[in-house]
Amino acid sequence: MTYHYNEAFENPDYHYSETLEIDRSRERNSSFLQNLHDSSLDDDSLYDSYEGGRGQRNQDYPMASMQPGFRYSHSSSRPNTNPYGNPHTNPAFEYEPELPYTSPSTFHAGDGPYVRRASDMSDGGSFSQRYNRRQADLVYRMPSSLLSLDSNAETYDKDKYKQEEKLIKNLASMSSRERVKAIQKTPKTMKEKRDIRNKILMEKTKKSVSSSTQINCCTQCLYKTALSYQRFKNGLSEYLHLLQLWQKTLKVIGGKFGTSVLSYFVFLKWLLTFNIFSFLVNFSFITIPQLIASGPNNLSFTGLELLTGAGYFKQTVLYYGFYTNSTITKTENNSSYNMQLAYIFTIGIYFIICFFSLVYSMAKSFRKNFINPQTYSGSAAKLLCIWDFNITNGKAVKLKQSNLSTQIKESLSEVTLEVLNLSLKQRIARIAVHLLVWVASLGIAAACCAGVYFLSRNNLQLLEGNKSELENEAATLVLPIVVSLLNLLIPFCFALFGLIEKFQYPRHQLYTTVIRNICLKISIIGILCYYWLNDVATSEKECWESLVGQDIYRLIVIDFIFCLLGSFFGEFVRRIIGTKCCKKLGVPEFDIARNVLDLIYTQTLAWIGIFFAPLMPAMQIISFFIIFYVKKVSLMRNCQPPRKVWRASQMTTLFIFLLFFPSFTGVLSVMAVTIWRRTPSKQCGPFQGLTSIIDAISGWIHILDSYSSSKWVVWIYHNLIGSVHFFFILTVIVLIITYLYWQIIEGRRIMVRLLHEQIINEGKDKMFLLNKLRALQTSKLDPPKGEQQERSSSSYQPYRRAAPQMTASLERPFGRNGRDFYVESSSAGIPEKTSLSPAEEEGRQPGISETLALALRARQQAEWEMEDNDDEDFRP
Amino acid sequence: MGGSASQLPRDLLGEYQELTFLTKQEIVLAHKRFSELLSKEERESILQKRVPKSKILTLPELRANPFQDRICRVFSTSEDEDGSMSFEDFLDMLSVFSDSATSEIKSHYAFRIFDFDDDGTLDRKDLEKLVNCLTGEGDETRLSESEMDQLIENILEESDIDKDGTINLSEFQHVISRSPDFASSFKIVL
Repeated sequence: MTYHYNEAFENPDYHYSETLEIDRSRERNSSFLQNLHDSSLDDDSLYDSYEGGRGQRNQDYPMASMQPGFRYSHSSSRPNTNPYGNPHTNPAFEYEPELPYTSPSTFHAGDGPYVRRASDMSDGGSFSQRYNRRQADLVYRMPSSLLSLDSNAETYDKDKYKQEEKLIKNLASMSSRERVKAIQKTPKTMKEKRDIRNKILMEKTKKSVSSSTQINCCTQCLYKTALSYQRFKNGLSEYLHLLQLWQKTLKVIGGKFGTSVLSYFVFLKWLLTFNIFSFLVNFSFITIPQLIASGPNNLSFTGLELLTGAGYFKQTVLYYGFYTNSTITKTENNSSYNMQLAYIFTIGIYFIICFFSLVYSMAKSFRKNFINPQTYSGSAAKLLCIWDFNITNGKAVKLKQSNLSTQIKESLSEVTLEVLNLSLKQRIARIAVHLLVWVASLGIAAACCAGVYFLSRNNLQLLEGNKSELENEAATLVLPIVVSLLNLLIPFCFALFGLIEKFQYPRHQLYTTVIRNICLKISIIGILCYYWLNDVATSEKECWESLVGQDIYRLIVIDFIFCLLGSFFGEFVRRIIGTKCCKKLGVPEFDIARNVLDLIYTQTLAWIGIFFAPLMPAMQIISFFIIFYVKKVSLMRNCQPPRKVWRASQMTTLFIFLLFFPSFTGVLSVMAVTIWRRTPSKQCGPFQGLTSIIDAISGWIHILDSYSSSKWVVWIYHNLIGSVHFFFILTVIVLIITYLYWQIIEGRRIMVRLLHEQIINEGKDKMFLLNKLRALQTSKLDPPKGEQQERSSSSYQPYRRAAPQMTASLERPFGRNGRDFYVESSSAGIPEKTSLSPAEEEGRQPGISETLALALRARQQAEWEMEDNDDEDFRP
Repeated sequence: MGGSASQLPRDLLGEYQELTFLTKQEIVLAHKRFSELLSKEERESILQKRVPKSKILTLPELRANPFQDRICRVFSTSEDEDGSMSFEDFLDMLSVFSDSATSEIKSHYAFRIFDFDDDGTLDRKDLEKLVNCLTGEGDETRLSESEMDQLIENILEESDIDKDGTINLSEFQHVISRSPDFASSFKIVL
């Protein structure tokens, strides 16, 4: 017996033997392969690393059991634990204890199968011999209740080892990219990761030497290209890393103000990249060809143009009106550039790209942040992950701690407050206040819109009046200033409403304020668009597109100036007041919502402006750049970190959604009206002389029709893009798919609920079993004195000492995963204790076998469920 | 920096890149910052040296962190459990706290950081220590005993799914999965 053990333990082949894989296959193999990337790989390795990973807890285990003395005693104690006979007479005996695990059916049948199986085995002598080594291993690794303590520790070690083996095997079969990712994901120390990697490489080379001795030319070539591509990518990423804008600044902001304020700057940066992209597109496909063809500008530059965007700029590539409708031909060999098509395609494709990237980032953000099928009301659990490790500033840490403390205290008192119900009267009063405030804020928004509309119409008439050029230009500034003032002041008004209203959660207040503000801003932009498309476009003015472009230019410039003034007065002066005059106000906080909404507002304007002034993105880039630095300085100088928790990811999702829904879709509809419904101006711009802009496309298709080589384009245009039926069918299909997904989600939700209940039940089962086993243990742990003495003189002693440690460590660290916890503690940890007590008596005790049966059943159930639920359990 | 002598060898750099989530620049920067913690003579053999905890904690990124001791403890492979760090431990730490590390691995290490007694579950004592770290040890900010009890009760109520009185790793990860901000806030960048 002992010999077997030793051999098994020392023989290096043993570690690599294939047979080892068999016995644990039920537990993990399938799931391991399925979702190796997320859960199971971690599970396996978590288990290892948590225990042995840092090598600090190993001493908890009775590692001494590896010494021969222990092993001997172990084997001598085994006959006692086993009521079924003497193992030495039966070569197949060692296989027995595993039976309850491998074949669930044998379990209920009591002792019968044991006997039967044993005799089956002993029939084939060679069979049992072949299995000898494996059996030894099985005895070790089984957390069987019939084995004594030290074997369990060894089992554990072997288990670990084997799991590592399997890990390596699995990793070796992956592609190198996946492997690197998988290794990166294992939560182990560098040394262990390196070991694993080296082992895999060894395995790999072993395999490659045996299987393919020669590498043919083609694969070598492929390999080389892959390698050089990899190198190229690495090099590129290095340079891209250098290009990362504001890395340092963002870090400093995050260090002082946390992720919440950081999210504003990240959003700003994201918008900036949008604008840089659109600038590059517009500049290279629209402006450069035009610059080649254009003549000199003979208007004088006065400086006021920078504010008004009129005058000198009229004759530049900034505005729609300057672009020609001709085809630009510079080279002799007849290659030409059709400005009309270039204009419409560039802007169209830009919007399509914008659309998809917005949808993509929105969907990604939604997936990440709104996946929770059940909304848990409480927020206490959030505390587990509330600490912002970005914060590195000592003062900020202190502040954050005190904020958290007050927050916790508040929320604790809130819980008790919530219980007190409001009376009906109070509730009605509350609803009435909400309604009133909503009516008031919507009324204010409507009034603002009306005012803006009349002012702008008035402005249009002013332009027709015969006044001096300068006066005219100054008069045009009135409208943008009024609009910016409204945008600046009305939000403060809305914030005041917040004082009247009482919300149950601060979150609700935030959401309502955001919704009101976005209503205001979007309706102002909406009314301006109405004015542009309904009044300016039909006013028979010369080059109405350029006029609209100028209007947008002025709006953006003035808004930018107000933004600077806002951060000066809103933050700097406010801080002076807060610190010098009125101490109660204190240092201001950075209002993330307001600032982000401002960004959304200007971005909407810039998107509308792209058609009327193709170089609008350039202005956006400059203004965003300056805003970034101004805001940063103002933030660092004037503001304090936010006191309330700002759920950055969720709010960012909301903002991206707002950017998409009213803003971008609104822009698209404005574009659609302009292109399909409005007549372009007669004397200027690329589309002069057409009845509508879309005619440029149909005209082009008409020309293409005469070339046989481009028939497919015509076909696509007529049957797909221009066809109502196609879009109708597409819509129906999309709707059906959406409906199906919705149903699937509903099903999943129910499933998640059921699984959740199951976990709770299992937890209860576990507690019940633990209690029962503990009760039994305490009742059985007082054996007759004489026997105890006898045993303590024998080799039993060490186990006894090891026992409390062992059970303690078994009970908990094994809980790497909910179910495994049950498995290990119910069937492995506790029964060990019972087997410590005099075994001969115990084996015949009906109570014990009953408990064992319970424990084993629990384990089996857990195992089955683990297989069923593996991919769904905690990550719905 | 001590000139070319303290440069990382190329193959080692590649290996680190493969084993961690860090990019080349981040590793080089980490190397630089780590060597600054060592004295001039020690820089020659940076890979063998361990930096004591007290020195690691002079890094501005960790100096103010209330979990600094735990971070050192979790990532240190030192036999004496003194929280001293070798360069590879340091890289391990940065890898976990880097931008590109997955949420799973982040939550795993977060769990270990919060598991103050290293017993594999977050029990009441761990949670109490955690809350104390969050609120600071000062008299004003510290929670009273009843508040603490109530709070821990709430936390367990919400996150202890199997109701065994402690939060194990999978329960913890479940909580983490519901708070998307975690991945961005569990981050330390050099």
